[in-house]
Amino acid sequence: MNNYLKHTPVKILSKTWESPDTVTFKVDWQVQHDPGQFVNISIPGKGESPISFCSWNPDYCEFNVRVVGNVTEAISELEPGGTMHVRGPYGRGYPMRCFKGNHLLFIGGGCGVAPLKGIIEYVQHHREDFEGADLYFGYRSRDDILFKHLLDAWKSEFFLHVTIDRDAGEFQYSCPTGFVTEAIKHAQIDPNGKIVFLCGPPVMMDKTIPLLLEKGFHEDQLWVSAERHMKCCTGKCGHCMINGKYACKDGPVFRYDEIKGVTE
Amino acid sequence: MSVSPCSAQSLLAHEGKPLNSVMASDRRGERLGKILRKDQLKPLFQALQRKGSLYAPVKTDMVRFQEITTPEDVDAIDFSGHAFFPPKKYLLPNEEELFAIREGELRETVAELDQQFIVNVRMCDLNAVGILDNLYLDPEYPDPYYRAKRDATTFIGLNCVHELDEYCFCGSMDLQREYDLLLHDLGEAYYVDVRSDKGMALVEGLPDAEDDFTPPLPRTSKVLDPKGLWPFYADKWWAGDNELCVGCQRCTTLCPTCFCFDVKDDLDLDDLSSGKRLRVIDSCHSPDFTRVAGGHDFRASRLQRYRHRVMHKLQYYKDEFKRSMCTGCGRCIRYCHSKIDFVKTINEEFVHE
Repeated sequence: MNNYLKHTPVKILSKTWESPDTVTFKVDWQVQHDPGQFVNISIPGKGESPISFCSWNPDYCEFNVRVVGNVTEAISELEPGGTMHVRGPYGRGYPMRCFKGNHLLFIGGGCGVAPLKGIIEYVQHHREDFEGADLYFGYRSRDDILFKHLLDAWKSEFFLHVTIDRDAGEFQYSCPTGFVTEAIKHAQIDPNGKIVFLCGPPVMMDKTIPLLLEKGFHEDQLWVSAERHMKCCTGKCGHCMINGKYACKDGPVFRYDEIKGVTE
Repeated sequence: MSVSPCSAQSLLAHEGKPLNSVMASDRRGERLGKILRKDQLKPLFQALQRKGSLYAPVKTDMVRFQEITTPEDVDAIDFSGHAFFPPKKYLLPNEEELFAIREGELRETVAELDQQFIVNVRMCDLNAVGILDNLYLDPEYPDPYYRAKRDATTFIGLNCVHELDEYCFCGSMDLQREYDLLLHDLGEAYYVDVRSDKGMALVEGLPDAEDDFTPPLPRTSKVLDPKGLWPFYADKWWAGDNELCVGCQRCTTLCPTCFCFDVKDDLDLDDLSSGKRLRVIDSCHSPDFTRVAGGHDFRASRLQRYRHRVMHKLQYYKDEFKRSMCTGCGRCIRYCHSKIDFVKTINEEFVHE
């Protein structure tokens, strides 16, 4: 019997520090996956950590890791040329084929931007399938901005709006200092023909969704990615259960009407 | 007439065969009932000892499952009590090695398993096995560690002719006849209900039961009203029991179906590049259970955690597998420090005005 808990070794091609605590690894792994799915990265002796794909490319995979604990710290110490142990892909990603012909709205906060980057790259590979995309990304400070080297390309191809919670100063992509929710509040957005992807800290999601509903969006136009404590990633260990649904198996991507009203 | 001890050959015949096929098929034309005289029981248990490990409830300070190692110890097997700990530990140990860590690499550890026979298991705990199977043997990600133990284990139940105590409420739960063999006390002898080839291999030498008889499912005076719990999700319904709960995790520890686990890496102190990756039984009553890296806790309050356990047992699992995850063993009520009785609460208080 195949051991689903066993990891596959993949070669690390490159490593880029995006911000003081966030690093992106590019690995030599060609695996079929949907944007929004995730893997479990293992450091023997330290533990495992669920990390979402932040790329969509047939030739390689990228994982964006924020150093918040023992395991992510150990992952961040891996170096190009070395080996990363991964298992997956897991979970239900975004059903991109269902969104053909739509205009896509991305709302991300902090490291929640990483999985959205995967969808953006999917859109770039299937440009003719989508009307266009608006990107609204919020970060705590200028240092925290992720994927700085891609901002020019994104700005030339899509509508890009970056907000910075404090001390924005002069920054070519940003608007006045403030939360991404403020930017959404003041933006003129016609809900017609649009699909919204939200990924960020719980407080950002909680504040943004009512704003969107006020603007006339229907609940089934909103897609959220849920973050939970995950261990097995296969619907067994019970940690990620949200009112009977497993974030690892039934999610992490949910259409908003599927999980609205959950309190945990 | 003598008891036919199972032959080693007939046991070996099932090794490596998927259990489902053993459980479900190959009953063509077989009589499902056998008669075992009470004086034949001891030789049967002793025969099991020769085939593998025998585990049974024994009354010491309390009734608990333990290995019966010598032929004389068979006399100590308990037939009247309700085990404090469920026999879940023989399928899901509190701590289990998943991988060995050697020089910073994970190595698969495949344990050679002997046959194990678990006898005098009550209907509630027998049903718990099917509930665990749904999780651990799901077709997409079957668990090889669980599978190996499950295949090596034979369950021989003991039917409850009378309810064991006032906390049992299995009679109101959706019990299934899931076991290899079930002993039903007929006074002079046991009626042996055979439900698998594995079970049949142990008793094929016994005489067939003459009457067409199916052992009745246990009845209990305590019953749980089978109402759906979704209309009662709001905090106010849970506040009373939550006031009493101290979050000690006794209920989840003693539950025959609590399956949640954590994965931990345990390193050797004298060589930090070696150690074990362990699966450790975890409890949703622990405040750490839903805490993510960075500190956010999705079920930060005890009320949320208490509600989650009961909702998972009676509602969430049923939504997924069309069967309650609670088997009515009553342990979480019987042994609760604070005497919380969720059955009473649901029956009496979960009523819309």
